[in-house]
Amino acid sequence: MAAILSAVRGRRELALLSLLGAALFFGFWQMLAISGLVSKFVLPSPGEVLIAALTMMVEPFAGNTIQGHVAASLGRWAMGFGLAAAVGVPLGLAMGYWRLLDAMVSPVFEAYRYIAPLAWVPFAALWFGTGIGGPVMVIFTGAFAPCVLNAYRGAHLVERHLVEAARTLGAGSVRVMAEVLLPGALPSVVSGLRVGAGLGWQSLIGAELIVVSSGIGYVLVQGQSNLAPEIVIAAMAAVGLTGLLIDIALRLAEARIRRRWGQTP
Amino acid sequence: MKPKTAIGLATVLLLLLAWYLATDVAGLIDRQRFPSLGDIWTAGAQIMTRGYAGGTLVPQALYSLRLVVLGFLVAAVSGVPLGILMGLSRRFEALVNPAFLLVRPIPPLAWIPLAIVWLGLADSAKVLVIWFAAFVPAVINSHTGIRNVDRTLIAAGRVHGASQARIVWDVLIPGAMPMIFTGLRLSLQASWTTLVAAELVGAVLGLGKVLSTAYRDIYPAMIAVGMITVALLGALTTKVLDLIERRVVPWRQY
Amino acid sequence: MSDIVFEAITKVFPRGGSSFTALADVSLEIPDKQFLAIVGPSGCGKTTLLRMAAGLEAPSSGIVRVGGRRVNGPGADRAVVFQQFALFPWKTVGENIAFGLKCKGVPRARRDELTRDYLALMGMSGTEDNYPHQLSGGMQQRVAIARSYAIEPQVLLMDEPFGSLDAQTRMVMQEELIRISRVNPRTVLFITHSVEEAVYLADRVVVLGRSPGRVTDVVDIRPVREAERWDKVASEEAMEMPGFGHLRARIWRQLRQEMQISSHQQAT
Repeated sequence: MAAILSAVRGRRELALLSLLGAALFFGFWQMLAISGLVSKFVLPSPGEVLIAALTMMVEPFAGNTIQGHVAASLGRWAMGFGLAAAVGVPLGLAMGYWRLLDAMVSPVFEAYRYIAPLAWVPFAALWFGTGIGGPVMVIFTGAFAPCVLNAYRGAHLVERHLVEAARTLGAGSVRVMAEVLLPGALPSVVSGLRVGAGLGWQSLIGAELIVVSSGIGYVLVQGQSNLAPEIVIAAMAAVGLTGLLIDIALRLAEARIRRRWGQTP
Repeated sequence: MKPKTAIGLATVLLLLLAWYLATDVAGLIDRQRFPSLGDIWTAGAQIMTRGYAGGTLVPQALYSLRLVVLGFLVAAVSGVPLGILMGLSRRFEALVNPAFLLVRPIPPLAWIPLAIVWLGLADSAKVLVIWFAAFVPAVINSHTGIRNVDRTLIAAGRVHGASQARIVWDVLIPGAMPMIFTGLRLSLQASWTTLVAAELVGAVLGLGKVLSTAYRDIYPAMIAVGMITVALLGALTTKVLDLIERRVVPWRQY
Repeated sequence: MSDIVFEAITKVFPRGGSSFTALADVSLEIPDKQFLAIVGPSGCGKTTLLRMAAGLEAPSSGIVRVGGRRVNGPGADRAVVFQQFALFPWKTVGENIAFGLKCKGVPRARRDELTRDYLALMGMSGTEDNYPHQLSGGMQQRVAIARSYAIEPQVLLMDEPFGSLDAQTRMVMQEELIRISRVNPRTVLFITHSVEEAVYLADRVVVLGRSPGRVTDVVDIRPVREAERWDKVASEEAMEMPGFGHLRARIWRQLRQEMQISSHQQAT
């Protein structure tokens, strides 16, 4: 009984500390903003940020409401990420299955990995102008690597005997990849998709800082050139929140798949 | 040479050959949009001798390298201890977590506009953004590293009568080192990515400036030169980090 | 006709700087529908032989033929039962058993029918929708065997299939294997560490020596088995019979010799 009580107390204590931490964070921020030590044009108070955010939900800023901008960004992200997954996962699995393919593609892949996704922006802009192809390409480059790598590693983790069993039962290569490697590697693949989704989202924001005329990244730039940090911070919060939701959704999917496959996390 | 390396090399050479043939020789691809190997070579020579967008290649590269290393070191020095502390003390973690969780989902690149508002286009803005980018992976991985230290090892330390401080110094921190270095590798990668982005947005000098100027001048070969340089520097710095790791963590199996 | 023929098989593995000869000039014939067991000390290459017949490994020199045709890779004519079961954890029992049938293009209704039949044969009716991790080791191995049987292979290759089971389950599985293979005989290559198991199950036992692997003895079991009618009694009674005892002793003696030779070799 005493043990349970102290555990509860421990839990309660931690929760209180968290609350305290949050309060300190916002409190400190508010104090700094009000104090006059920093100009209003540099650090707006939390309240001002909230007002800016709410306003942008109703009144269009830089062409659209904030939800509209987020939606535009999400659309691009979905396309780029979807493409990266559709190409990257099968490629990773195939590289895990065929040593020859692995040997051929690996060095090219390693070289590509070292190039920061954002470095592709000038080429993307050159090739696609301000069309949707540009950001999609940049997102693709950001999301591609984790999709391939995790599928590749996952395929290697699949026990050799399972692949051999499938082949001795008469399965051809395609069936082996689809019915043995993919399910076997699935936990790893989903983990890679989650990381790829996050990196894709980040690359999107980067691309939108540079070459677009809509989307939440554009809001960030406009807020900056208007010297309106409350808009910038509100947009940053929107970006962070959306990224967080994407991550949570994928984590839930990952947990469900692990449970179904009989591998309790 | 191992067969795998040979095949890889052969593939790369074949691709380069195909690239060369398609661009310089047959002119199949519009050189306004896609540089040929010859163009890249010329652009490379140009930037190394006469310079481009404000300087020759070496000073530009060093400029960017300086910023990355600075931002990375600040992030490592601030992030790793914070992560370790969070791993060691659940109370401290509970206190700091809310602030961390609020800041964490914001992509580092999203900090660029704010950094510009605060610090203009100066170097400090870029270092600030790099710091944000590199900070998060360092903290998270150090934290996880401490938490993941094999419980049996800690028990072994206690059983030998080790004090709490000794357990931290001789068991937990060395045990967490592999993960800490994984985090540092991620931090380094993030540093390069962020630097390129930051310099693309606004820079006076540096590889990002080269890239953005080349874009404006519609000079795809120079864009390629910039990208290749970034990639090489990225690989180089990662190798240096690996070497440091081998020294600090010799017991890790590779 | 599906006999297995090993012609002058040699297998060399590179080990670090030097090489390791797993098999040296091994020749062996398993006639159609014969149950052959291979016993030998660890590392004598018996699993390697099986994998060559399965097409999962290639000999360094020599030829493996099944049914007169040279083996080039794995195929559904030679089913393998692994020691670790190798059941697909993400497929149900039914889906596992039906896998080979699916590869063959058998339509769904017929697949379901055959799955039910084979589960019944194994005494596991009703478990179609369970996942492997929900079953005991013995049941999992039954599913693995059912999976291999379902594709009606000409040849069954079994690599210490009962090795990871406890002693009681093992005995039950041995009796079951006898039952189904008498009903539906096919060419079987069976690898085991247990001399008793080999004598009980097989028509012929081959003893493989080690370092390098080569055939050191071939023992005919079938005549003795049929004379003493082991199939008519429970396994523990069969193993008490004099003929069984003699065969077992003979093989053990051979094995013991092999193990002494190898430990001498290792000492020098």
